Order: sequence, then structure tokens, then C-alpha cells
Amino acid sequence: MAASTSRPLEYLEGLPGTTFNKLYQQPSTALAIFRRMLPDLAKCFVMALLYLKDPLPMADLELWVNAESRKQRDNAISILGRLHILQSKLSDEKVRTYVVTDPFATSLRQALTGSADTLSFGVLSNTPDEYKISIDFLDDYARRQWEAVLGYMVGTSAFEQRGPRDGASLSEGVKQLLQAGHLVELRGRSVDITKDGFGFVLQDVNTQVWHILILYVQTAEAIGMDSVEVLSFLFLLSSLELGRSYEKKHLTPDQVRTLSGLADFGIVYQESPEATQFYPTRLATTLTSDSSALSNPVTGSMGPAGQPGSSGSGFIIIETNYRLYAYTSSPLQISLISLFTNLKYRFPNLVTGKVTRQSVRRAIEMGITADQIISYLLTHAHPQMRKHNAGHSTSNTGGVPPSVLPPTVTDQIRLWQLERDRLRATAGFLFKDFTNFAEYQAPCQYAAEVGVLVWKSDRKRMFFVTRHEQVAAFLKNRK
Amino acid sequence: MPRAVRGLLIECDPSIKSMILKYDEERHDYIVEDLDDEHHLVIKESQLQGLKARLDQDLDEKIMQLDESESE
Repeated sequence: MAASTSRPLEYLEGLPGTTFNKLYQQPSTALAIFRRMLPDLAKCFVMALLYLKDPLPMADLELWVNAESRKQRDNAISILGRLHILQSKLSDEKVRTYVVTDPFATSLRQALTGSADTLSFGVLSNTPDEYKISIDFLDDYARRQWEAVLGYMVGTSAFEQRGPRDGASLSEGVKQLLQAGHLVELRGRSVDITKDGFGFVLQDVNTQVWHILILYVQTAEAIGMDSVEVLSFLFLLSSLELGRSYEKKHLTPDQVRTLSGLADFGIVYQESPEATQFYPTRLATTLTSDSSALSNPVTGSMGPAGQPGSSGSGFIIIETNYRLYAYTSSPLQISLISLFTNLKYRFPNLVTGKVTRQSVRRAIEMGITADQIISYLLTHAHPQMRKHNAGHSTSNTGGVPPSVLPPTVTDQIRLWQLERDRLRATAGFLFKDFTNFAEYQAPCQYAAEVGVLVWKSDRKRMFFVTRHEQVAAFLKNRK
Repeated sequence: MPRAVRGLLIECDPSIKSMILKYDEERHDYIVEDLDDEHHLVIKESQLQGLKARLDQDLDEKIMQLDESESE
């Protein structure tokens, strides 16, 4: 599964069963979870079991899967179990059976057949808007807001200069959320990005949106909103259609509040907080779709053409000699790249520079890890690099998976990071001055048994432990 | 009579260890106990940050870096 699914999945798994019960009342939630969170095999299981009248014996289900694929099967079943979708029961004949749990099954059937009332999937607004809102406008709005959020985090001055003229002003709510999630820290009046924040800005957009949404749900409870309502609203959003407007009057007060919160991030658009309708943007509608995060609209549109999704998302070329070419004019992307690159020249649609030992070490001192740099480069690699290296790997059948980035570069970036850690330090206590070997051996052995021993030397009769209390008590008792 | 001493166990390469030993010769303010093998020694807890900074600085000076000349 894509990496971007793991965070929402992790969060969902941590919820109590009663929450799931409430969540699955909504057909849109059931469908969204089915589409986005489940591995393919798990989807097959759910589909096969969904319309069965009786629970399916475990042995029958196991027959569906080849013996070699047991791991995938176990994984699928375990995910289904953790999301409270599949339940195993003992039947009357004492056979273990599987059944799709009820609120989920009913809701998913409704979602598939459309038999339920349609409130769950949002209500299309019929009143025509005075101003025609086009998809291009929504994409532009989403991109501007999202870039403003990221720009605020990395402190790009260009965004402040553009300011309100561009309409990309950030509300207090956004800033507070970023602080609550420890993505930025306020020091006096300046905004400092944290280590987590660096990890965040270097991820692809879909993962970022999920990160923000989960933060939002987590803080929702603190300000007195029902997290289940907020969550199911998020899943509802993800099933809406881009470029259509939806009625607000069917939403609960908490959901209307969520709506204006999300508008600040560019996830939905509304004319004003009082408007009676809202538009989901591409950030919302791709949340639970299967379309890969790479074809996301925002970073893609940061390319020179400025047209959403026209060129794919990649714009970075890095050569084996560490030179980097980035086809972008976005101040945000340029300042991100400059975090770990020595930029040399800037052209209207291109910046070039070199990844050097110095520049990488500067980044590492700021708390960025080598893996974050590499994954950023990988996420934004130019299509040309993917094509070139994919073609290359077919001639070289060494069983090595084809890598998009030159291996020399990725290895070197990791080595530069390792250089920083020349020594490993462990805090603790050194025990010494034992008069004879027997006196030394017993406490040393005891320390190893309780798991605090780090180092010992039989010859010098010394040993090093992380905690001394137990060993000291042991020595006292022996006297 | 056995004693326990608080400190930081440092694990490093022999080259790094010999640099630390050399620093310590100046004022004997780093090392709590030299553990007589090539990779380990115990130092004072308060000295770690200073030691790391000093090591980085010295190594940067001493190790030749070929790519820093920036020939574009």
C-alpha cells in the first residue's frame, strides 16, 4: 500500500470499537474506508463475504488463497479485524467462521446500491452560484492556500510580501493547529520549523493533507467538537465530486465549524463563512481515491506550466555528479530545495545547484535526516529520471530493484549523515575497584540478567550499567 | 571496596578515541576512566556537547574534502 495510507490507518486502529460503530453508520464512511484503507486482497474478502447470508467457515476462506500467499492473507485478515470490519465467530457446530460486521456491511451495501437516503454523500446544491466557480479556480485556490501553509512553516518571505493581495492569508486556527501538532514552534514573534515540520514539508501532498486532517480530528475534541462527526465528515468530503457545489444546511453545527477550518487549508472552498453552499477542492476529493499521490495537483502545478496535473509532479533532476536541476518557479519549492542544496543559478523556470557535503551537513544540523532528503528527491523526481532509470534496469538483471535516484547520490547523502555521528554515548555508571574476580563477577552477571549491562571488562574488573540502583542493592545484600 | 562512578560510556573508532585522549592531556577535564580497549572510554557527562563540537571542528580541518572546491 502507498505510504500515505499508513498514518490514517494507524490513527483509525487506535480508536475504540464504539467509535467504529458510530462511524460505520454512514455509508460514505464505509465506502471511503473500503476504497482507501484496505489492501486489494482484503477488498476481495469483503466483497465476497458482503452478500453471504451465513458466516463463512474459516477453512473455506483459507482455500481461496494460495499457500504461498499466506502472509498476504494473514495481513489482510488482521487489518480487517483491527478496523472492526471482519469478525470471527464460533458457529453452532463449533466451526470458526468469518462474517462482515453489521453497521459496516449494511452501510457498504447501501453505498454500493444507492438504496439509502443520499444525505450521507452530501446534497448537491441546485441554486446556481452567482459567480461560476470553475475547477481551475478551485485548483488555484487549493494550491494557493496549501502553499501558504507550507510557506508559513518554512518561513518563505515571498509569501508575506504577496500577502493579502493574493488572498492566501492564514487564519489563527491554522497557525494554532500547526503548533499543536509540533510542526512549528513560536519563538517570540518568529516562527521556527521543528524536526517534525521538516519531515512534513518534504512529504507528498496527500500524506500532508492526511497528517493535517488527523491533527484536526485530534484537536477537535479539545475544543468541544465530536470527533466522530468530524471524522465522518472528512470521509464524506472525500466522496464528493470536484467542481460541484453542495448544500450546507444538512450538516451538523460541528461539521459546519469543521468546514470553515478546512477552508483555511484550501481543502474546501466557500464564498464566505455565511454561504449556503461549499465546494470541495482537489485536495479533498483525492483523499480516499486510489489515484496515486504522485499525480496530485498541487506540486504538479508548481511546475513551469502552472497547469494543474499537466506535467505530473516531478520536476527535479539529479545527476550522478550531485548536480541538481529543478524545473520550478515556486518560491516554496526553491526554499525547500535550498535547505539541502547549494543553489547556484536561477532562471525563470529552473534553478540549478549542487548537493554538497556542506549543504547536506547544514541540513542535518537543522534536524533534517538523510532519509527525508532522499524521499523528497524521490517524490519529486522528474518523469525523465523515472523513465531513464526504468529503461536502464531492464538491461541490468541483477535482481536489484530499479532506483530512480542515482545510487551514488543516495548512498553519499547517507554517508554524510553518518559522518556526524562519530561516537555513540550512553549515560550511566561505571563500577570499578573490585578487590577480586569473584567479587566482580557476581554483580556483573546480575547486571546482565536485569538488562542494564552495556560494557564489561573481565581483565580490568570493571563494568558499565545504565542504571545503578538494582546493582547497588545487590552489592549491599551480599555483604 | 567497589565504587560506582557516574559518566558517559563512549563508543567510537580508535582514531576518534586517540583524539579524545589527546584533548584530555591538556587539562584532564574530559575522561573519567580510560577503559583500555580500542573502542571505549568513560567521560564526564557535562563534556559531551563540547567534545562533539571540538571533534567536528578538528576533523573538518584535517580531513581533505575534494568536492568543496565547487567547480561548476
